[in-house]
Amino acid sequence: LVERASKKQNINLMQLVYGKSASTSNTSANEVKDDSENEESDEDEFFKPKGQRVKNSIEGLDGGNINTEDCSKSTKFSELKNWKEEEVYESIRDRFVTGDWSKGALRNQMSEAK
Amino acid sequence: MGKITYKRLKGSQNMRQRLLLATLKSTPVLIEDIHADDTLPGLRPHEISLLRLFEKLTDDCLIEINETGTKLKYKPGIIVGGSHLVHDCGVSRAIGYFLEPLILLGLFARKTLVIILKGITNDSKDPSVDTFLSTTFPLLKRFGVPSEGLKLEIKSRGVSPHGGGEVHLTIPTVQHLTATMWTDEGMVKRIRGEAFTTRVSVQLGNEMIYAARGIFNRLLPDVYIASDYRKRSEAGNSPGYGISLVAETTSGCCISADTTVSYPRGDEEEDIEGEEKKELIPAADVGEKLASVLLEEIEKGGVVDSTHQGLLFLLCALCPKDVSKVRVGKLSPYGIETLREIRDFLDVQFVIKPDPSTGTVILKCWGSGMKNLSRKTT
Repeated sequence: LVERASKKQNINLMQLVYGKSASTSNTSANEVKDDSENEESDEDEFFKPKGQRVKNSIEGLDGGNINTEDCSKSTKFSELKNWKEEEVYESIRDRFVTGDWSKGALRNQMSEAK
Repeated sequence: MGKITYKRLKGSQNMRQRLLLATLKSTPVLIEDIHADDTLPGLRPHEISLLRLFEKLTDDCLIEINETGTKLKYKPGIIVGGSHLVHDCGVSRAIGYFLEPLILLGLFARKTLVIILKGITNDSKDPSVDTFLSTTFPLLKRFGVPSEGLKLEIKSRGVSPHGGGEVHLTIPTVQHLTATMWTDEGMVKRIRGEAFTTRVSVQLGNEMIYAARGIFNRLLPDVYIASDYRKRSEAGNSPGYGISLVAETTSGCCISADTTVSYPRGDEEEDIEGEEKKELIPAADVGEKLASVLLEEIEKGGVVDSTHQGLLFLLCALCPKDVSKVRVGKLSPYGIETLREIRDFLDVQFVIKPDPSTGTVILKCWGSGMKNLSRKTT
């Protein structure tokens, strides 16, 4: 699911942020919403919280809730990985100076070439 | 006097960015439907406090609010700044909420801004004052803000619900920012942090530090978390504890995370007392969780953490007419909202390119050519 979401993101990041036309902007607004809420199930069309129905009825660029809280932090404490497990913490080993320096350098070179 | 044309906006979302950009660009704004559907409609206390703060710093600005507070007319004035200013931020949002726009406003003021801010210094919703010191200020230096002038002193700490903290802030003025090419995120070389306690046992601070270190030590030996135990008048009015961490990389990037635990601000205080005060999260868990949050921020990649994305984009857009290029991790919702506001107000659109090999995003933009017009040239 995450992979699919990231693929989608790759294609139209520009559209996702700015929106292109009326039709795409609606979907992009939904996608942003999906991103933040980890794709709430699409199947139960029947039971929608009040806010969501309002969102769909409003047309325009960012049809989300217009009174969302102004907050720069977006960390969710409930969705943390277990960083005590070896596999998990070894996965970011190369982001630290204790890891493989050549791999760390490669990471930057590769992206700079683009 | 000619008729003023207002830029029409809806809702209370991104109020800070909107007011900030409106002030910087001298665009009058008219915001409607502010919390219109709520049981208590209208502007929230912190939003009003923010408006008062903008009023204090500017000259000849006009704020009109309708009876219910759902409609706001704002005509910005000239940003003056100045010293000996005091502002009570209230207790509905932390000082971090006000600092984020205030810093940028101060940079483009006529005079150096020296202000005393009172309220909540640390809470879980907004970046703590420690994070501003450890991460936000180095970020500003990247854009050519002189480091000598930037100052933030924590005179006393205050946590929710009753606050009582006080910080002294000094922001220098700049002629203009400098564009930056900043895509090298480097590797994490050390982790620093600060744990604080107010009106609770010192032991809780040590527990947080011990737990956080436990997570990091497998990855990095260079971890030092200082402790800040506040007592009596320096500890504000409420008990609480928290920790802020920052990971510094070999290329000088700072990735931060912070949190605070205290009793919630309740509108219904009798309720809370009836329930015999909810238990707070144990200190050891807080340390462990926050350490995990920091590792997750590091995993995302990028030259800043997700909290600072908005500020980073604003700085890029406010640069002179030159190209800025930055790398961030996954775009945060706040970052995306900020990008939209930047396009609406400054007419600056970023070129956003994903970098699939690392899961990061590279953003490029052509600065809006913002200059500090009110500052005297020397």
